[in-house]
Amino acid sequence: MADSNFEPRILAFLCNWCTYAGADLAGVSRLQYPPHIRVIRVMCSGSVSPHHVLRAFQKGADGVLIGGCHIGDCHYLKGNYMTIKRMRFLQDLMKFVGMEEGRLHLDWISAAEGPKFAQTVRDFTAKIQKMGPSPLKQAARAA
Amino acid sequence: MERLRDKVRKLLAEGKAGGYIGYKMVEGHPLPHFFTKDRLSEVDEAIVPPGDARYPLDKLLLQVAARYPKETFAIQVRGCDERGLIELYKWGQLDPDQVVLVGVACPQDQADYCECSGPFPSVIDYGEKCRPVPQSQRVTRVEGLAEADALKEWLGHFGRCVKCYGCRDVCPMCFCKECSLEHPDLMSTGMVPPDTIFQLVRAIHMAGRCIDCGLCEEACPADIPLRVLYKKANALVKDLFDYETGSPTAVSPWKVLGEESTLQTKPM
Ligand code: SF4
Ligand code: SF4
Ligand code: FES
Repeated sequence: MADSNFEPRILAFLCNWCTYAGADLAGVSRLQYPPHIRVIRVMCSGSVSPHHVLRAFQKGADGVLIGGCHIGDCHYLKGNYMTIKRMRFLQDLMKFVGMEEGRLHLDWISAAEGPKFAQTVRDFTAKIQKMGPSPLKQAARAA
Repeated sequence: MERLRDKVRKLLAEGKAGGYIGYKMVEGHPLPHFFTKDRLSEVDEAIVPPGDARYPLDKLLLQVAARYPKETFAIQVRGCDERGLIELYKWGQLDPDQVVLVGVACPQDQADYCECSGPFPSVIDYGEKCRPVPQSQRVTRVEGLAEADALKEWLGHFGRCVKCYGCRDVCPMCFCKECSLEHPDLMSTGMVPPDTIFQLVRAIHMAGRCIDCGLCEEACPADIPLRVLYKKANALVKDLFDYETGSPTAVSPWKVLGEESTLQTKPM
């Protein structure tokens, strides 16, 4: 599967108040991370529907990253309680249909955790690189 | 059958229910029928259809109740129909004080065919309780597949979809006015088969809501094993949130954020 020419496409949904600010901090601190990630800023990770994630895979994403505030730090108090319910459920459902649950990753990254953001993106990109192109994409191409 | 008819007759005659949604034989076919006080003699023909003749009576009740919001109605329910009513109460679609149950227990062969975990309602006016089937073998089989094989199987199924929306339209739990399956920004339009994610999006919406009546699978012209998908979705909701779909007391995990969050993110 591992193809050295494979440039993964990773979509990230980051909440405005924590992880997006964390990404910003990584940027201004000039921390290096691979450029395969496209970011969509959302007000709260709790506003990301599983449908958005599936839509991303449908449209050719090889991996989807969701970033939100740590539990207890959500700026809407408990928005991320729903995030983790939804994403844990979706990961398990993806596994059942054989969509490789590891292609969806959820992490809590605060505004102060620039280095954690950069490291998460590095690790996730490497992981997706190793997994190869999304099987959903291949299926779409074959059709 | 007479016991059931007596109950219905009484409910209608005494005005305890403005109507009864049940079944009647029409030219050899058991069809849903709306019985009223004005045509009380029709109740002589009220039946319990054979196990495999089923319609989404809950869905009919939704329509009737929307039209006559102050009225109370009686309805024939099996185990699944009652679970459906309970979910509909929870989601604010019906008022339990305006619904009277006329309960029917499913025969064993029906419960076995459905792999039904609750084949009888809380009120039984016809039939005998039979043995529930706690675990679906159809789900277990797919769980045992390697991921690549599972995907191959599902893609083969999804690729047959003709996007008739039959699964959604027959579903007693699909009550939304706008459906995300038809949202042009979320689902590609104008092609068959639809996006691969079509059935998965539906599965997400049915998690903790599907009452496992099986009508979608029976309606699907492409023979897609939809029920397996939704049974699994419900099993996950049970495993992750300890929520039993159709439970009269528990609160749906999708309705509340919760007092605390105990789930952990999965390690990368
Ligand atoms: S089995 Fe199908 S039709 Fe019945 S409630 Fe579940 S999704 Fe709806
Ligand atoms: S009933 Fe079957 S063919 Fe029709 S939209 Fe649903 S899954 Fe597709
Ligand atoms: S605001 Fe960051 S997760 Fe809710």
